[in-house]
Amino acid sequence: MPANLTSIEPVRKTVTVPAAPPRAFELFTGHIHEWWPLATHSVGAESAAGVEFGEGEGGQIVETLTDGTTSVWGTVTGWEPPHRVAFTWHAGTPVAEATRVEVTFTEEKPGRTTVLLVHSGWEHRPDAATAREGYNSGWDLVIGQFAELAAREP
Amino acid sequence: METYEAVLEALGDRTRRQIVHRLRAGPLSVGELAAAMPVSRPAVSQHLSVLRRSGLVSYEELGTRNVYRLDPAGLSELRTWLDGFWDVALDRYAQRVREDSEGRQPRPPHE
Repeated sequence: MPANLTSIEPVRKTVTVPAAPPRAFELFTGHIHEWWPLATHSVGAESAAGVEFGEGEGGQIVETLTDGTTSVWGTVTGWEPPHRVAFTWHAGTPVAEATRVEVTFTEEKPGRTTVLLVHSGWEHRPDAATAREGYNSGWDLVIGQFAELAAREP
Repeated sequence: METYEAVLEALGDRTRRQIVHRLRAGPLSVGELAAAMPVSRPAVSQHLSVLRRSGLVSYEELGTRNVYRLDPAGLSELRTWLDGFWDVALDRYAQRVREDSEGRQPRPPHE
């Protein structure tokens, strides 16, 4: 219905991995450059050279391009190893259009961790904020994040 | 072009975002849209046709008026794409953890 047109439910994803939470957390954050699908999930696409996850609250997730320039995707807002990491997400868009990602690591049994990722913040912002920022709206939030990424997908 | 790509491309333009923003309040005709925007009526029509192709906006005859309204179909495509974005990333992450648990070294990032 049109009333819901400017909101999107949080994206929730789980994956279970064969590692204890400390290692699962370490691979997710400090080793992001070893698994993040840069070719399709980056601002630079084929020009993307790497991505780093800054440790601790205030740390930044930064993509480096082959020409040496960088693009900040988000900032760590919660850092509780090995259980939880939270960060803002604004890849390719102004910081003001950030959404939120929270990742929790729960030990399912020894040596196995369930990772839950929740990407939220798609909701339409309060009218006051919308007015203050001109035409920014929930739509900007939705598309701003990924427009550039998707446009570069093969 | 995939539908979600058409949605993203449609919303990649500021004028079209303004049109979408204004349609959130309810259906409007081309003339009503053009009246409050710093672009010509033909330009607004052209933007509306891009929005229609993306599925974000639909068109109907309301009495004697031809009006445009937002269409939720476009958004559901985009939602599907967002799901896929994290599916791909987390698959790669799980693969890396499996390799790690088997003592294997990481592959180059673009492989």
